[in-house]
Amino acid sequence: MSSARRVQQWVTFGRMWYLFDAKWQNPFDASTKIVKVLSGSHKPIYHNDIDCGDHVVVINSAQIALPGDEWERRVFYHHTGYAQGASWTLAHQVHEKDKTMVFRRAIYHALDTSLLRHARMCRLHIYPDEEVPEEILRNVSAQLRQMRAVPKRLDHYTEDEVKNFPKLFEWPKDYVLET
Amino acid sequence: MTASVWNHFWGTTIARTPHYNGIGRFTQQLQRITFKFCKSSGASKGVRDFIEKDLIHYARSNPGVVVYLKPRRHRGPVLKAEYLNGEEEYLYLAKRPREEIVRWVDHYTTRSGQPTARLMKTHHTHHLSIQGVWTPWTHRHPDTFTRTYPDEEASQAEKIEKTATDELREIAERLSIGEN
Repeated sequence: MSSARRVQQWVTFGRMWYLFDAKWQNPFDASTKIVKVLSGSHKPIYHNDIDCGDHVVVINSAQIALPGDEWERRVFYHHTGYAQGASWTLAHQVHEKDKTMVFRRAIYHALDTSLLRHARMCRLHIYPDEEVPEEILRNVSAQLRQMRAVPKRLDHYTEDEVKNFPKLFEWPKDYVLET
Repeated sequence: MTASVWNHFWGTTIARTPHYNGIGRFTQQLQRITFKFCKSSGASKGVRDFIEKDLIHYARSNPGVVVYLKPRRHRGPVLKAEYLNGEEEYLYLAKRPREEIVRWVDHYTTRSGQPTARLMKTHHTHHLSIQGVWTPWTHRHPDTFTRTYPDEEASQAEKIEKTATDELREIAERLSIGEN
């Protein structure tokens, strides 16, 4: 094999590193997107047998958003392996304990149950905030788009922006409408 | 013989020629052909006929091939072909008529010397795609290379529909209620 063809092989099968910002994202929605990248099924060279998945670095996993009352309703199951070792923990309790666990379990659940599952999980790097080790961050060469827009709260706007926001009409005094 | 036994014994290969032989120039791969035969036994009759009637013509028309003759008393006739890549091929020629030997010699002259193996497919190319093989950078927006990550703009979700804030701003613009 000539050197040009050898390099062609490397560049085709080289692993990419993607960044994903989990701020205000539903981890169960985001997992569909991230699992595709982890398993490599977004590549035209994809095949069941080959391990061609990319790395995904997830930041801000502490700021994920679960829909509805899922923080109260969703339950995570664990079994110690001993008799009566089963335990069920609410999502918000799990999140208090470990800010990356809810996201990690969402991805693990969405990955298909093949022999490559653990190898793919190893390529997922989750960080609760924006602090990512330098040796991880310097590999990152692209970013995945978020699934939904991050809402901007009123207190995130500057005072000028709030004051200068266009006003279509004036509310009556004390918001009492004259009828 | 099952297919798997065949494959273990003969091996599998793709269609190929030694060093692109025949593209631009052709190099004779057969370098030496040796006939071992007996001058008296009946089994070597066909080889002796071949030597009498065809060998001179063969040697003249193939100047790149060295032809050896080795008479051996009371031994079976054998053809040995040696190729440029170091491979050797033997063929036992006992009781074979002259016409068949002519065809066998032609076969060994035109062979590449590569070992016989099952062809996995009848066609093969090193250039899988005329467009170039896909890489992770194919069809990627040039912005990807210039950004430093994390990048907020690259992260933002695609805007599918207008928000209430956007609509309010539009109405204000239409009514020219400029930002005071």
